[in-house]
Amino acid sequence: MDISYFIFLSSGLFLGWSLGANDAANVFGTAVGTKMVRFRTAATIASVFIIIGAVFGGAGTSKTLTELGTVNELAGAFMVALSAALAVYWMVNSSTPVSTTQAIVGSIVGWNIYCGFETNTTILIKIVSTWIICPILSGLISVLLYFGIKAYLKHAKIHLIHQDLYTRIGLILACAFGSYALGANNIANVMGVFVDASPFHAVSIGNFHLSGTQILFFIGGIAISTGVFTYSKKIIKTIGSSVMSMSPIIAWIVVISQSIVLFLFASQGLKNIMIELGIPPLPLVPVSSSQAVIGAVIGIGITKGGREVNWSILGKVALGWICTPIISASICFICLFFLENVFNLSVYH
Amino acid sequence: MFQIKLSLFSKTKSLENKIDLFHDKIIDVAMTFKKAITVFLREERSVEYKKLCKQIKNIEHDADSLRRDIENKLYSHNLIPDLRADVLELVENLDRIINRFDEVAYKFYIERPQFPEEYHSRIKELCEQVSDCAENMAIASRAFFRDFSTVRDYSQKVYFIEAESDVVSGKMKEAIFDSDMPLANKLQLSNIIGEVADIADIAEDCADELLIFTIKRDI
Repeated sequence: MDISYFIFLSSGLFLGWSLGANDAANVFGTAVGTKMVRFRTAATIASVFIIIGAVFGGAGTSKTLTELGTVNELAGAFMVALSAALAVYWMVNSSTPVSTTQAIVGSIVGWNIYCGFETNTTILIKIVSTWIICPILSGLISVLLYFGIKAYLKHAKIHLIHQDLYTRIGLILACAFGSYALGANNIANVMGVFVDASPFHAVSIGNFHLSGTQILFFIGGIAISTGVFTYSKKIIKTIGSSVMSMSPIIAWIVVISQSIVLFLFASQGLKNIMIELGIPPLPLVPVSSSQAVIGAVIGIGITKGGREVNWSILGKVALGWICTPIISASICFICLFFLENVFNLSVYH
Repeated sequence: MFQIKLSLFSKTKSLENKIDLFHDKIIDVAMTFKKAITVFLREERSVEYKKLCKQIKNIEHDADSLRRDIENKLYSHNLIPDLRADVLELVENLDRIINRFDEVAYKFYIERPQFPEEYHSRIKELCEQVSDCAENMAIASRAFFRDFSTVRDYSQKVYFIEAESDVVSGKMKEAIFDSDMPLANKLQLSNIIGEVADIADIAEDCADELLIFTIKRDI
């Protein structure tokens, strides 16, 4: 196995770490922010399920990213991932909830521009449209859940102490589901550009089989988990309580809404069922968990009259959304130039 | 894992029972107080009154230990983090009602106020009102935990009864000061009537806070 592959892969692992620090906080940030689940518990559950999601459900979204731009040289893939990671790291450091998807899409477009390749606009439009659909869908789901749960609680008359216990269990389950969906949906951002050059071979232990890509995704999953444990606490402070003060039940609604959205855009099985039923399927696109969370929070905030929503933070978030792809595309473009002309590495063919 | 789950459920159930028991204590103390004053007016510091005073003291002790237990469990198990401070304040306020019942019953025992026969029905009416007020407060508080949409109904009852008790206690004080009894007696009776009426005032303050907590209780 070529050692240089692992050197180039390091940027993907760095991006995975950034994704763990940033996006995983979206999955359980509200649960930890409302003090319903301890950080360590949430981080452990998230790590395990992110890896499971990445390994067993990550194939669909990788395909879409490859269609946007087939990064065909390892050095190019290295720089695409590194510039996305740097953009995310920069945003994370300034406590801005950032989208890893937008960073990687920005980088791939940057690579396309540098190499003079035409960006597949159909795919780009498909991806960008999900950036709009994703928060809206998440907001709609959260509003429906909000009214449904409110009506149920009024009818069920559960004791406050029991309600607290059920909410905790619900948050832990939502955290597991959300982490699975995040792993499945977002592993493409981290490892998608390295799939073509993957040196890993399929392994089988008894009835258990893992393809080469799944092994690559497993390594990416571990990088994400490392990000979860080492850096996501800071982002939780932003997501957990700054956008809107929320009760634990609202926190659960937010987590489950964004998990459903991430799952809808990642599940090949669900896509097949929709096709069988004659329903237009949702594209398998890596979507932003940050956007999904913000969509869910705003949905509930507006339902409650909009007074509780901290609109200024949302402005900062929106600015991050616009800046992220531009920053990562610019970093990618400039760094590819250096990589090719200073280090004499081929970044495309 | 299954055992952890069972233990979580049993801990939750135990705390829920303790909160229910605490509310029972308010109703118990209110009923006992009503009975005790009726006995006092009939027999003054009799053995039976002493027994009822002791009973009130025991209820107060039990309520104190339940309150400590509830507070301790809420913090040590990190339960209801968003509403914990409200619940603690609510429990503390309810405990103040119980304490006041105990103090007033003991005051009757120590001071042995001499209520002329014509005031007996009014003092009984006042005691009935403050007991009702405390009972409704307990029901409102219980509703906060289980069916918070009805908190407002019971709080409204607390407000209504408290206003009624103010009228009764005011009229009684007026009548006492219009009477021919010595000033020392007038002052003693007026003071003790004020203390009885205070129980309803404390319940009213509790209801005020409870209504604010209820707004936060909504998801």
